Amino acid sequence: MRALWRFLTSLKTCAWAGLAFCAAGAVGSVVMGRYPELFSDMDAQVLAGWFARKGLISPVPTLWLYGLLLSTGLLVVNAACCTFERLVQIFRGKATLRRLMPHVMHLAFLGVVLSHLVSSIYGDRIPGVAVPQGGFAPVGNTGWVLSLDRFDALMAPEGYPKDFSAAVTLYRGMSPVARGVVRSNEPLFHEGYGIYIKNFGATPWGAPYAVFDANRDPGATLVLASSLLFTLANLIYLFPARREDG
Amino acid sequence: MFGLHLVLFWLSLFAYCLEAGLQIGGVPSKPVFRSALFAGLVLHALFLGLRWALSGHAPMAGLFESLTVFSFCSALAAFLFCRSGETRLAWKPLSLLVAFPQAGAALVGKQLTPLYPALDTPWFATHVGFSFLGYGIFAAGLALAWVYMRKGGEEVYRAGARSALYGFSAFSAGMVCGGIWAFYAWGSYWIWTPKEIWSVVLWLYFAVLTHLKFITPGPGWPGWSRRMEMGATGAGYFVMLATFLGVSLLLRSSHSF
Repeated sequence: MRALWRFLTSLKTCAWAGLAFCAAGAVGSVVMGRYPELFSDMDAQVLAGWFARKGLISPVPTLWLYGLLLSTGLLVVNAACCTFERLVQIFRGKATLRRLMPHVMHLAFLGVVLSHLVSSIYGDRIPGVAVPQGGFAPVGNTGWVLSLDRFDALMAPEGYPKDFSAAVTLYRGMSPVARGVVRSNEPLFHEGYGIYIKNFGATPWGAPYAVFDANRDPGATLVLASSLLFTLANLIYLFPARREDG
Repeated sequence: MFGLHLVLFWLSLFAYCLEAGLQIGGVPSKPVFRSALFAGLVLHALFLGLRWALSGHAPMAGLFESLTVFSFCSALAAFLFCRSGETRLAWKPLSLLVAFPQAGAALVGKQLTPLYPALDTPWFATHVGFSFLGYGIFAAGLALAWVYMRKGGEEVYRAGARSALYGFSAFSAGMVCGGIWAFYAWGSYWIWTPKEIWSVVLWLYFAVLTHLKFITPGPGWPGWSRRMEMGATGAGYFVMLATFLGVSLLLRSSHSF
């Protein structure tokens, strides 16, 4: 049991797990391009759904992903055990900001990974909801219907879009539950889902249409909070005093 | 104005090449703020500022702007990490690391590019700006590592170790900004493309590197000497290069040029 604890708190474990992650990631970035039929729709659903459907039936091309997940898991456990052990030692002695900050960064790292895990299991992806102006389309299995009330695009003389926006209403049954203007970088949020405009064009009869994605990331807020905590702790670690160890 | 801003670009390239030539030729260095590198940095800053005003967006989109901003951040890192004493020796390799991307930028199209609506957000400049600042600091890390491997030196070691830590911090901030931007623009802070995977690889590489010096020598671990640490710091530049140019040019990704 002591040997296991030593392994889990060891910096050597961190080093080897990090190296394994780097190797698996490097391999994966190449393999992804060689098996587009397998990996091209990874973002069209949450990871757990994709993994259950494709990861298990194609174990060889997805081997790098198993390596990535295992090394991430080991890094998380390692960071958690290391921080627990060190925090106990720090609070028994003199707790200073400089001694604490690396462990705040560890906790923030754990927050990011665990929140992402929540999103990867309990999130939802509804890609490609195409709606013509004045028309309606169901939004996956949410029970909502999206209507495109008005679409506007500002085109440059060279033919590229300078700006585009969609005034939309979200209905449940006959009742509107959310209304707003969606444009790039400005989604419409409702009950944990974000409605994002992805594309637009013209229907054969000349009316404009827009294509939307509806995504739900239940861990996103915690990912954001943890990331900001990491950045803050990092800044505090860097700036209050000159480092003694270089 | 378009012509003038390109004149500034070429002048900064000339100044960088002059600095590299003087360094390689063994000409004694001038004081930091009277050097050709500093002149190049000032001209480069003026060029970037003018291009920003002309295009209406941060000059960080496309291959030309990426290369020239990378060069600018590498030059900036020379003044942040290699300003005094022994660390000035790092200017010899670093002036080449500054001149090469700027020379590469000289070879590609320099037209002002429109900014697509998804890039029209402050998160674009902060994400790319912090990331390139990290890349520039990693370039200083390689230069300092090179000097340490050849001549040693306490000051060089400390500057090299600082470069890994500060480069990692800047790159981390860039990743956070990128995640926030991606969440608002594309609906998720994470997407599975080679660029995103390599970004985490680069981040983790330097995260682990900053931990390794704390491992005490023992069975199964020979100890992490300063030479090994500096070697790994220098190697990090190539991991960064694979992330920045390798993935963007060779693999299909959301960041392809």
